[in-house]
Amino acid sequence: MNELKMESSTTQYIVIRLGKEQYGIDIKNIDNIVRMQHITRVPKVAEYLKGVINLRGEVIPVMSLRLKMNLSVDEITKSTRIIILKFEQGAIGVMVDEVKEVITLDHAQIDKVTYDNKEDKVNYLSGVGKTADGLISILDLNVVVSERENA
Amino acid sequence: MDVSQYLEIFLDETKEHLQNLNTLILNLEQSPEDMDAINEIFRAAHSLKGMAGTMGYKRMQNLTHDMENVFSEVRNGQIKVKANMIDILFQCLDALENYLANIQATSDEGTENNEPLMKLLNGLLEPETSGDETPKKEKVQNATKVSDTVAASDNKSLDTKEPKKWLDIKLDESAKDVMKEAIRRGKKVYGITVFVQESCILKAARAFLVFKALEPIGEIIVSVPSTQDIEDEKFDLDFSMFFITDKDSDVVMRAIKNVSEIREAIAEEVDKAQLLPSGDEDAYEEAEVTSAKKHNTGDSNTAVANTSQSQVQETQTSKPDKKNSVSKPIVNRTVRVDIEKLDVLMNLVSELIIAKNSLVSAAATDTSGNTNVNEQIEYLESVTTNLHESVMKVRMVPIESVLNKFPRMIRDLSKSLNKKMELYMTGEETELDRTVVDEIGDPLMHLLRNSADHGLESPEVRKQRGKNSVGSIFLDAYQDGNNVIIEVRDDGNGIDVDVVKNKAIERGVITVDQAENMPDKDIINLLFLPSFSTAKVVSDVSGRGVGLDVVKSKIEALSGEVEVRSKLGEGSTFTIRLPLTLAIIQALMVDVGNEKYAISLSSIQTIEDISPSEIKTVQAKEVINLRGSVIPLVRLNTVLDVTSTKTEDESMVVVIVKKGDKMAGLVVDNLMGQQEIVIKSLGKYISKSKIISGATILGDGEVALILDTNALF
Repeated sequence: MNELKMESSTTQYIVIRLGKEQYGIDIKNIDNIVRMQHITRVPKVAEYLKGVINLRGEVIPVMSLRLKMNLSVDEITKSTRIIILKFEQGAIGVMVDEVKEVITLDHAQIDKVTYDNKEDKVNYLSGVGKTADGLISILDLNVVVSERENA
Repeated sequence: MDVSQYLEIFLDETKEHLQNLNTLILNLEQSPEDMDAINEIFRAAHSLKGMAGTMGYKRMQNLTHDMENVFSEVRNGQIKVKANMIDILFQCLDALENYLANIQATSDEGTENNEPLMKLLNGLLEPETSGDETPKKEKVQNATKVSDTVAASDNKSLDTKEPKKWLDIKLDESAKDVMKEAIRRGKKVYGITVFVQESCILKAARAFLVFKALEPIGEIIVSVPSTQDIEDEKFDLDFSMFFITDKDSDVVMRAIKNVSEIREAIAEEVDKAQLLPSGDEDAYEEAEVTSAKKHNTGDSNTAVANTSQSQVQETQTSKPDKKNSVSKPIVNRTVRVDIEKLDVLMNLVSELIIAKNSLVSAAATDTSGNTNVNEQIEYLESVTTNLHESVMKVRMVPIESVLNKFPRMIRDLSKSLNKKMELYMTGEETELDRTVVDEIGDPLMHLLRNSADHGLESPEVRKQRGKNSVGSIFLDAYQDGNNVIIEVRDDGNGIDVDVVKNKAIERGVITVDQAENMPDKDIINLLFLPSFSTAKVVSDVSGRGVGLDVVKSKIEALSGEVEVRSKLGEGSTFTIRLPLTLAIIQALMVDVGNEKYAISLSSIQTIEDISPSEIKTVQAKEVINLRGSVIPLVRLNTVLDVTSTKTEDESMVVVIVKKGDKMAGLVVDNLMGQQEIVIKSLGKYISKSKIISGATILGDGEVALILDTNALF
């Protein structure tokens, strides 16, 4: 019983890097992590949607996390990866600068982020995790992949 | 008994039977004396009753039972088919369909007893059959009883109430010869009829076990229905055969009765007299020397015939009729397959084609010049193409299943609208992908209703205009290249452009100025806009404004298109064009900038080389004059936001595409060639891109987008 409680109160995150910042992505939504590959551009769609890739015979849309979050344009390097996320409405890939590690965080280690409602910004974070190495922003994936754009 | 696992089969088969009944009863309305149709209807009603009973749907069973009664009387010539009878029967079918809908939704037939209907049905039986009906029936029963008891004299195990159906088997000469020969060699020939329990579900399996049990002890000469039909479960509850053995009848009976769920079996020894072919003197002589006891059996049969009343003769003549109609759907060897399994198969074929495409492109870049590899790849290519075609054919079903319900609908409409009309259909056998056929029913129904309600004039108006007072609606389906065309045509009033125009202005769809300059064709197309109905009176048939726009969006969802042609006073034609398949298409691959795009071959008219000097501008839009027709140009690089690899003064490759009878020229940078491509969805995240209809995976693993040329007009 105690063990069960322990299990449910911790969550595994994959730590990714965007620019200089580190973000955590809940592992339960991650289907796959693939290397950067050729992305076929789709015309007349939002700028952050980079296009589609072929993942073992499936056509999967790919978005740039940086563009979505209003950061600077992606620099494609050797460590650039596409993280394939699976949701009910289908799979989508997100481009990140680097995938670093998998960490386990206890719920106690995560501070909920409270936003100032006056700010007219979309909130991509669901919380901030504290580790020995520093702070990790936990991404709210539902907001990230939703169609709302940063104002 | 748990029958839930058979529910699917029950639903499928019941639907088929109901559809059959609908068609047959319509036929019967046309030719009330058609004995074949009556027999067929009787059989279908009987099967329905049996199936409903097996599944425990008592109300359904009761209703079908009463329908069956009516038909059995019709079949016996006791009552005649009349218009009110047809109406009542159609009401019964509707009631049965309601049961079926209930069962489908809740696995329960509901609580509607349909007693008024059953009263009507029984009412049909009464006037004609009152008075002398009962005694006649008794006579019939007596007569059959006589025949049974006499014939049963040499077989004690015989159940006197069971008719000996093997007597109905029509023997051909060779079978008779075999049997005569067997008798000569001292073997015994038995006529056997086996009755399966009504509750038995796997009838075919039981029948198979009976055959299996008989085979070691003798030889089955003929069986009715044929072994094939029995395997396909094309029989009611009994089957008959002739069987040669040297064993006694009780050995045979024991073998049969060892099989479970067999209600009753009758076996009787056959003598030569029964094998007597008419006019065969040789056989006649042989028959004369058969034993006295056997003579008795033969005599009893003739005696029955003599004593029987006309009804008996009728039942007897109708029996072979029934057998004929049983064997009518000849050898239709089919397997029911879940559509999902076919989808899986289709996906696998798609994967294979992608793999093949990558092999092709790998071989093309391979410079070692190994011709053997190329040969093998070509072979693989032809195999995958054949495989693809076969799988596609498996998914194809005749459009008939959808069209079948329309004659009935038109008949009902004719009554409710008080207009006389006839529906003429051709091309029911045209095949379409199963998924398309499932979806096309509603749009077609809308169009037919539209023709019946808006198109056709009232009989009075038709007479004034010198037309036949009976309106005609035509539905023609045919294949045209990679498309299937379905035309719905009527000889009614046609579309009144002025009425449409006024309505459009009234609704604020177009302005008066716009209306002035609009060609008639465009005005007619306004009908496809949502909430546009010109019916002056809203009837329950059409006129709620949910008709034509639904038709259009449904058909476009199937990658098809719809157009109208109409002439005031002469009628209108709605033409639906649908692609044969949705999953794999032939496409032209083109380069735009440094990107690759696929254009469906079915929309391409021609490919032209145009020099920049040929471009003219009309209303600030680029057009070309191609063999007398002015075609607007669409520069794909601007539409797709890429930079062209070509300079301004270079000659251009223009792909001429058509949408209905409109054309447009798409300017591309380069042609790469034709390819078989597998259509993949872009997924929900990129659904907004209107000019792209999907994506495909190329041989090198890259994704190419498929242009929706219809969106470029």
